[in-house]
Amino acid sequence: MEIVVAILQALLLMLLAPLTSGIGRWLRAKIHTRKGPSIFQDYYDIIKLFKRDDVRTESSTFISRGMPVLYVGVCFVLAMGMPMATRACPIPVLGDIILIIYLLALPRFFFGLAGVDRSGNYASIGGIRELIVGILVEPSMMLALFAAAMVLGTTNVGAMGGIVGSMQLASPVGVLVAGAAFAIACYIELGKLPYDVAEAEQELQEGPLSEYSGPSLGMIKVAMTMKQILVVSWFVAIFLPFGSAVEMTVPAMALGLVAYLVKMAVLFLVILVIENLVARVRFKLMGKQTWAVVGIAVLAFVFCALGI
Amino acid sequence: MSMTILLASIAVSVAGGILAFLLGKSAGAAKVVACLFGMVSALLAAYAGVGGVFGAETAFAVATPFAFADFTLLLNPIAGLLLVIINVLAFAAFLYGLSYFDEYRENGLGAMGLFMNLFVASMNVLVVADNAFWFLVFFELMSLTSYFLVVIEQKEQSIKGGFMYLVMAHVGFLMIMISYFIMSSQTGSFEFATYRVHDFGPIFGSLVFVLAFFGFGCKAGMVPFHSWLPQAHPAAPSNVSALMSGGMIKIGVFGIIKVGFDLLSGTECMLWWGLLVLVIGALSSVLGVVYALGEHDIKKLLAYHSVENIGIILLGVGLAFIGVSMNQPALAGLALLAGVYHMLNHAMFKGLLFLGAGSVLYSTGTRNMEKMGGLVHVMPVTAMCFLIGSLAISAIPPLNGFVSEWFTYQAMFSAALMGDVMIKAFAAFAAVALAITGALAVTCFVKAYGVTFLGAGRSEEATQAKEVPVSMRASMIIIAAICVFLGLGAPLCAPALEGVAASVLGGSSLAVTSGTAVVNGVTEGAISTPLVAILLIAAVIVAVGIRSVFSSGGSSVRRDPWACGYKAEGEMPVIATTFASEVKWVMGPLYAVRDALVGTSPSFGRAFTSLVNGARVAETVGDKRIVDPVASFVDWIAKLSQRIEAGDSRLYIIYIVVALVALLAATVVLMGGAA
Repeated sequence: MEIVVAILQALLLMLLAPLTSGIGRWLRAKIHTRKGPSIFQDYYDIIKLFKRDDVRTESSTFISRGMPVLYVGVCFVLAMGMPMATRACPIPVLGDIILIIYLLALPRFFFGLAGVDRSGNYASIGGIRELIVGILVEPSMMLALFAAAMVLGTTNVGAMGGIVGSMQLASPVGVLVAGAAFAIACYIELGKLPYDVAEAEQELQEGPLSEYSGPSLGMIKVAMTMKQILVVSWFVAIFLPFGSAVEMTVPAMALGLVAYLVKMAVLFLVILVIENLVARVRFKLMGKQTWAVVGIAVLAFVFCALGI
Repeated sequence: MSMTILLASIAVSVAGGILAFLLGKSAGAAKVVACLFGMVSALLAAYAGVGGVFGAETAFAVATPFAFADFTLLLNPIAGLLLVIINVLAFAAFLYGLSYFDEYRENGLGAMGLFMNLFVASMNVLVVADNAFWFLVFFELMSLTSYFLVVIEQKEQSIKGGFMYLVMAHVGFLMIMISYFIMSSQTGSFEFATYRVHDFGPIFGSLVFVLAFFGFGCKAGMVPFHSWLPQAHPAAPSNVSALMSGGMIKIGVFGIIKVGFDLLSGTECMLWWGLLVLVIGALSSVLGVVYALGEHDIKKLLAYHSVENIGIILLGVGLAFIGVSMNQPALAGLALLAGVYHMLNHAMFKGLLFLGAGSVLYSTGTRNMEKMGGLVHVMPVTAMCFLIGSLAISAIPPLNGFVSEWFTYQAMFSAALMGDVMIKAFAAFAAVALAITGALAVTCFVKAYGVTFLGAGRSEEATQAKEVPVSMRASMIIIAAICVFLGLGAPLCAPALEGVAASVLGGSSLAVTSGTAVVNGVTEGAISTPLVAILLIAAVIVAVGIRSVFSSGGSSVRRDPWACGYKAEGEMPVIATTFASEVKWVMGPLYAVRDALVGTSPSFGRAFTSLVNGARVAETVGDKRIVDPVASFVDWIAKLSQRIEAGDSRLYIIYIVVALVALLAATVVLMGGAA
């Protein structure tokens, strides 16, 4: 049963990722009072990309050729362990917070390498900036999760969600602040405005992807949306597990799925509104602004350690 | 049985070394003899080490005419693990040397074979020595033989690095010697066996521990005693660098474990010992990787990463001290497992990376990454092995670096669950340090791999490089396979290493695996690297299938990348300094880059800057307070001694031995007076 859920949710995630980004584009157009594209536009784009040539530069190697499929593969594996409709992880050994943080570094590693590999200067700068976002975000993400895990007594995403869902917390304020710190860290990790520094110059538009084309570009687009959904699901699974299926029965899971979709819709709406209200932050200022996240994470840790 | 094999291996090493030295005039023969004897000896000693890890403790003793110098050896699991680490690397280094040493024909291959064989043999005896006198003798022999290997090229840089190494090795040696003499004056014996049952009390216990920690820390290259490491390791031939950075600095960690847990097992363990080790470990890991990012010499970059990884190992060891002092055997066992697992892992991937760097040096003749690029096209095997090593050292799942870092995180987390507010704070500090280290290491190895192997070649040497000879390739492939095995085979390796940790702590073992997963027995946290690997491979195959089935376009090659409408030029793509300058925007203070990023930031910035300034002062304190005075003192002594003789280095070595004997004799006399 769990294996079926795991494979099913990973497949659904992959198939519905373009729909999510399509709805995002449509809503953004509405905010801009434009007519906007159809919500299925991203499917049309990907189908078109799959008909195009895969153009690569002369010096490129298996690294940039393999990066798109590896990116999709990692997102697929992460999706199999992430609790979505259920409260527990479908495959518990894939649901450890440290494993998730370090698995996210795998596509980042090849993302950075692919920029250098295609030897385009704009692509490589974009790749390096993607890595720097990781340097700035990972410590506060780790500290926020460390504080929460200390209160909840486990490092498994599903088990953490289970305790938060039961509302029997040793230090409720601490977990709340940890959730806030983690939410901001996740938002930066999404690469949305104001923190889409990887493409923060006119020339860097689409940043590290500027040397990609055809089917490979299509796969990266799917993978990037998959990763965004996964990061938000990660936050939901730990800090907002309410409504998800505690038992592995079909009716409970149907209810859990509805609850999951509602939570995700609300969160993505909030993200979309923020994204459209702010201007892009200057790259050099970002290192300063992330100190605020570190501050909130430290506060969360203090509350959790003191049991408030 | 294991002990006999070990003694046989040492005999083979010594014989091989002497034979190579005698054959010195014919360089080819000396090289083959040194490498073949070295490989046989390494295989024997590694076999003995495996016996030590899994078998019962075996002892060996020969009485000598001097009461203090009974030749006692003890092969227990931790010594066995060190034997395995050193000799697997030694085997790879000698196999590699069969071709690589051709580069060093003018430097005297006979002497090189002698020193390298003696270097390995002295490390092998050192880890099983169970007597303070012989431990110190072989520690000194290890330092001297490796010193000669560092200066073998006789260039200004290597002589300077070698001198710094020699001074720091002896500063460390002095502290270790004082630490052992305190123990012997308290117990009246040089046998380790008597230290284990003696209670030294809090004052002498702490004194012994702190001296041993800093003394062995010099050897391990932890901050603030790290400055010799990036000078000395890159100067040696690359397979010796692999042996030094992978193997020798582990002797430092081994010494800290041996003194802290084994020799002081009769003395109560203090909480602050653990906190000291933890803080030094955290500083070492962050500063090591930050300075590595600024390097464009590939071997110096790797040497700085050794400082980082020693820090990560010390995080595990420090938590183990905390666990012992809190009387939490489960925490101590888990933390020490993390430490020894990372020790084994670092030895393998750092050995692999140094061999890879050696191959690049062999083919291009330069260590400067700015002049490389595009090597993946001409050296595919080296590139693949270096990629595996880079992924492993960046702690990317499912490879081995991730498994040991996961255990380290789990130990921190368990300590935070069990301890009071202070321990929680230290554990969280260490976790954040490790997270920063992990993210920076990813960036640093994207740089190291990308700039060296990818893109277009940036110099004539790089475009005309060739793949290295078969023995060098074989050696790298063996170590790369071990790295993959230690990661994917974590459920098989973890119980054995847990056995090693349990034997050091003298406790019962705890469960660290369940099925194909490795688990933290305290919190039930679990991961499964084989499962991650299988799912990842399956998912990637499916994705490749989707891409090739559904894409209807072809694939075409464009010569140049897009350059915003301009013609792409060779100067345009990123090089090593691009990475460093981008990272300096966010880690500016750590590089002392004074610009807008730091100057105007509010209180956070100020607090951070002052912390960093403190760290920067601490970084050079080792040089200013220790190296400089010692160096000027040595200089002064040397000027004095010029009047006595004309500067024959063999006489200096005799002086050191005489001084050692005199000090030992003085201690014996003092003890006699006390008794």
